[in-house]
Amino acid sequence: MKIEVKDYQGMKVMALSGEIDMYSSPALREEMMGLIHKRVTPLFVDFKGVSYIDSSGIATFVEGLKGMMSYGGRLKLIGLLEGVREIFGFSKLDRVFEIYGTLEDALTS
Amino acid sequence: MKDAAVIKVQSDPKYLSLIRSVTAKIGELYGLSEATIEDVKLAVDEACSNVIKHAYGGDTNKNILVKYRVTKKGFEVLIEDNGIKVQPESIEGRSLNDIRPGGLGVHLIKRAFDIFQFDQRKRKGNRLRLVRFTK
Repeated sequence: MKIEVKDYQGMKVMALSGEIDMYSSPALREEMMGLIHKRVTPLFVDFKGVSYIDSSGIATFVEGLKGMMSYGGRLKLIGLLEGVREIFGFSKLDRVFEIYGTLEDALTS
Repeated sequence: MKDAAVIKVQSDPKYLSLIRSVTAKIGELYGLSEATIEDVKLAVDEACSNVIKHAYGGDTNKNILVKYRVTKKGFEVLIEDNGIKVQPESIEGRSLNDIRPGGLGVHLIKRAFDIFQFDQRKRKGNRLRLVRFTK
């Protein structure tokens, strides 16, 4: 998996690509928790390049969301492909995460 | 063993992608639908991740054996390890309404397979039997 953190109009966008599994999720966790410790908000996570996610990846985002909620931060997930979105739906996490089609949608919400 | 395939991999998470690729290819060879292949691939990944985490306690130098076959009942996957014996009654996912990290994997396995059963005849380690019925 590839992780790229970009600045967009003064906000942080974490662009991911590849597969998120038990092997790659520790690097994702480290990167995301690093931003959360700096109290970044909002944090956009661009999923357009993510073709697969397992429960360890989902757990990483739940941990990130909980961390951000502690300081009133907003975690916005964008561009989830159908298979990835379906896992969030199955686990009922589409109700707790802010999920948007595009970065523009996420910016205006 | 008729019409079967077996792979043995080291208990290192870096090989999970290999297990997923093989599972998807086997599913294709056995004529599973694309949607079923995705579910089965994720379930086998989750089961093997559990072996690494729980049976082997994170030890990446052990072995995991994954056997695939088609039986009268359907598509069967056996996942074997030589780690700590799992207590089947202790395996329960979190309630899906309980939003917290962890506890999702077992739900993902059970949605893909109709049978989720540990073979108690295996003396050392675990043999998880997963069967998806032919519909």
